[in-house]
Amino acid sequence: MSLTVVGVRHHSPACARLVGETIAALRPAYVLIEGPADMNDRIGELLLGHELPVAVFTSYADEHRRHGSWAPFCGYSPEWVALAAARETGAEPLFIDLPAWHEAFADRSNRYADAEQRYAEAVERLCTAFGVDNTDALWDHLVEMEPGEGLAERLAAYFDLIRGEAAAGSSDTAREAYMAEWIRAAVRAAGDRPVVAVVGGFHRPALLRLADSPDSGSGWPEVPTPPEGAVGGSYLVPYSFRRLDAFGGYQSGMPSPEYYQRLWEDGPAEAARYLVTAVAGRLRERGQPVSTADLIAARTSAEALARLRGHRHPARVDVLDGLAAALINEALDVPLPWSVRGTITAGQHPAVVEMTTVLSGDRIGRLHPDTPLPPLVHAATAELERHGFDQPGEPRLDLLEPEDRERSRLLHRLRVLGIPGYARTAGPATGIDPVLTEQWRIRLDENRLVALIEAGGYGPTLEAAATARIGQRVDDAGNDLGQLADALFDAAFCGVTGLAGDLPDRLERGVAAGTDLGELGRVLTVVLALWRHDRMLGTAGSDLLGAVVAGATRRILWLAEGWHGAGLPADLPRIRAVVAVRDAVRHAERAGVDRTLARGIAERVAADRAAPPDLRGAFYGLARILSQDTSDPGPAVRGAFTGGSAGDWLAGLFGVARESVLAPGGILGLLDELVRGIGAEEFLLALPALRQAFEFFPPRERVTIADQLLEMRGLGGSGRDLLRTSMPPEIVAAGLALDEAVEERLAQAGLLPAGGAR
Amino acid sequence: MSSAVEVSPGRAQRPPAEVRYADELARLRAADDAPKPPGWALSLRAARAFIVGDPKLGVARKFVGDPSLIDRALVSLATSRGLLLVGEPGTAKSLLSELLAAAVSGDSTLTIQGGAATTEDQIKYSWNYALLVSEGPTERSLVPAPLLRGMAQGSTVRFEEITRCPLEVQDCLLSPLSDRVMAVPELPGDAGMVFARDGFNIIATANTRDRGVNDMSSALKRRFNFETVFPIADFDTELTLVESEATELLRRSGVTAPPRRDVLEVLVTTFRELRTGRTARGDEMERLSSVMSTAEAVSVAHAVGLRGWFLRGTSGDAADLVSCLAGTAAKDNAEDLAKLRRYLEQHTSWRSGGQWRELRDARRELPGG
Repeated sequence: MSLTVVGVRHHSPACARLVGETIAALRPAYVLIEGPADMNDRIGELLLGHELPVAVFTSYADEHRRHGSWAPFCGYSPEWVALAAARETGAEPLFIDLPAWHEAFADRSNRYADAEQRYAEAVERLCTAFGVDNTDALWDHLVEMEPGEGLAERLAAYFDLIRGEAAAGSSDTAREAYMAEWIRAAVRAAGDRPVVAVVGGFHRPALLRLADSPDSGSGWPEVPTPPEGAVGGSYLVPYSFRRLDAFGGYQSGMPSPEYYQRLWEDGPAEAARYLVTAVAGRLRERGQPVSTADLIAARTSAEALARLRGHRHPARVDVLDGLAAALINEALDVPLPWSVRGTITAGQHPAVVEMTTVLSGDRIGRLHPDTPLPPLVHAATAELERHGFDQPGEPRLDLLEPEDRERSRLLHRLRVLGIPGYARTAGPATGIDPVLTEQWRIRLDENRLVALIEAGGYGPTLEAAATARIGQRVDDAGNDLGQLADALFDAAFCGVTGLAGDLPDRLERGVAAGTDLGELGRVLTVVLALWRHDRMLGTAGSDLLGAVVAGATRRILWLAEGWHGAGLPADLPRIRAVVAVRDAVRHAERAGVDRTLARGIAERVAADRAAPPDLRGAFYGLARILSQDTSDPGPAVRGAFTGGSAGDWLAGLFGVARESVLAPGGILGLLDELVRGIGAEEFLLALPALRQAFEFFPPRERVTIADQLLEMRGLGGSGRDLLRTSMPPEIVAAGLALDEAVEERLAQAGLLPAGGAR
Repeated sequence: MSSAVEVSPGRAQRPPAEVRYADELARLRAADDAPKPPGWALSLRAARAFIVGDPKLGVARKFVGDPSLIDRALVSLATSRGLLLVGEPGTAKSLLSELLAAAVSGDSTLTIQGGAATTEDQIKYSWNYALLVSEGPTERSLVPAPLLRGMAQGSTVRFEEITRCPLEVQDCLLSPLSDRVMAVPELPGDAGMVFARDGFNIIATANTRDRGVNDMSSALKRRFNFETVFPIADFDTELTLVESEATELLRRSGVTAPPRRDVLEVLVTTFRELRTGRTARGDEMERLSSVMSTAEAVSVAHAVGLRGWFLRGTSGDAADLVSCLAGTAAKDNAEDLAKLRRYLEQHTSWRSGGQWRELRDARRELPGG
């Protein structure tokens, strides 16, 4: 017997080549591959002849957790090359790792993520020793640029060093124990023929040790089956380079798939040339000047950097550094993405954005027509037939009917997944719109099946897939509140209320970066209403929305405290934002809204002379409500009347706490006194703002105010009559101005005492 | 010849890099077998090792930042373009330019300090007026400024804060950079054209807080390769640097109590968040208009230590930190002070750790709090 364990980095062309050569040279009986063992009886599906990249998608749900993960393959994946080489040499390929639904993968969404991140310290030491920025550069330096002679030994040394003495986590230990069982079984079954195992390099030392331990078993290891009551499955889905490149943090693998595809197909010199040409081409297409001199400078720099770093041909970072040196002539706002590792951040230089796009590439995989369809296709087709939505039509749905609501969710899920042919022509926009019916238009579309197959990568059922798709939209939206809100409302329409991983966290982050007070207020109002009341869409009390409520409240408070502009006129959206905060503090402490913090901020803003008057008024009201302060509001109101922006201040106060006017001991008398004290001209100036302020009172309360005023002045009659003016306010104002002018003339002529009564 | 102002570099307060690291440079020169660009004192690889460090030769790491930045900078210097280091104040641009000049030319003293009052005389050449009157314009009466000397010797010339110079003065670098020649029209014959020797190049630094590089003429921009120097990306690296530098400063000030690690952690976190305008939790906020560089963090840590020691005889605590922050972070800018107060009010309560609680409790130490 002979066992060869090839330790690889997933998605490494150099490792892929080594795997291919090893299998061709040894012609083993078995090729064991780190991959889901439950796919072993379906390996044929993988070899049908797909256009890469494709992925095995595994979904899983039991009562405790929900999980979806991918095992992506591209042309230069060592695992893929191992499959192909096994078939060519007549060896039997076998996947030997635990199934993706297994607990060992509970926190993984990419089976072929790099393990380097779990051993960060050792990697950092190596990077310092070799003077490179990060793992990717280190890997290119050590492996991709120096394939050939002695690669296997170098790889072994590299992985041994990084894994070092560090103890593996419990999930790695479980996986290694399981893989070792397969290896022992294969060695047994192979007799005197060789066995090749292709596994992540970090597992190699452990597997060699475990494979050597005494073997007591017989036959092949059992493939674990999901616990009872769990649903899930694995199936092939088309994949794309863009998604392959988009894994972030602990899920990330080798970046820049298009570059490595070229490296795999044409070698390093060609790959470097392609990179320069493609970047220049894209920049010129977008009208950015790229001169021949720039290109020469880029090539020269890349060559020089390669030589300085000891590469025979320019490596990925050499070319990128050369391009950056030649094409960027201004200060950058954020570091170059290939020097920091991770997904691209906002604020990148346009040339850098084009570079990363070229590196990433836009290849999209396509499955062979004979591939079994992903379960989503079956699930969706069955549901569509059940509701009669597989044929064209124009269904009208009443959202108060439970059955129609279910059908509406189905259609919304299709819409969210971008399945063509399903459009809503009318219906509520946010979930708290007072519209209770929806109008849909369904038509046949030849691309429906293709779109469903592609959407199959998001999940096995429409609900799971829509959830995953909305999660992705939240990620893509970043800080764009409008898009975040749309994603949230779509979640409500689709009936997606369950927690999906760290979605609430991500949403909270997005909200935490918003900068538009009015927009935040709008989002908070709607989301709070959905969170508190909505039974129709079933969102009441959802954690997802709770997180947004807490985050948006905090953000509004933060922004409000820094909002300066003592002379700004009242702004309704801004006042509504404070109203939303009031309601959130009152009703959503359970969701994590901090009452003490809100109260402190309210008191400070109310006292801040630099804040806009409407915000000061609004926060004054909020502070009174939150502290249940019943002291005399007189001084504060009088203070507001001295600045000449009384109307704006009152608008804020009435918006948030109008009951302070009407309540016993309220400020109505004081207001009356203060308004009467305003000079005639000033009154005209303040009139629009005052009108706006009193708009916050519903008609019935306005009548009460009028009644009370009449009573205070000892006049009889009904307040209602007082309010019933048939004249538009502009005309009344013009009349007042005319009166004023006449009185002034009269006074000038000595016919009236100066400063006469108005 | 001895004069009243002569000070040998060895006794200077801060000798230039080539003197401070003379041993390391000598070792690197001795071990250097790679080809050198014409006019360079070291090969690219040895120059790189001088800055990023080489434990085998006992060469210390002198610049905490991406090694690829050093690679690109050295390659730029070896080509026909100048190198322009841009970045926020306090990101060690000047240190880097000094190290690069010391590595490439073995001399980092050909330095032009840019400023509003910098004239062409200080960059190119001027005249010894006594000789000029008696002999007329001759090579003897010519007083070369750093640029002319660098061109004639084939050395690296450093131009600090280039964007603080008037635009027309900046543009006098155009022909030295592109044609590698400087005309001295006053001198007769061949002496009137000074051709740059191999090894000449320019390292300029510019600060993104001043007028920035946007005002620079595009003709001049084209002749430079831009390298942006960023604040230290990694929290632990920055913390370690602040700790070691502050401990050293405190030791020199006669303070024996080392700075408290937890206070430094809070300090560095605060600086990083106010610098980037983003908290660890993801809240975005306005950045301070003052510079929140690592260098500033070190000086705050120093001040915190001094306060604690000389006022109470202990290490500095969170209350000292708040007092010192007001002085450095906010300076005399009322808006920054308000931003800082808002930060202490709203972004200290949600973090765990006693030192954050202390910081929050001490927020009233801010002036006007």
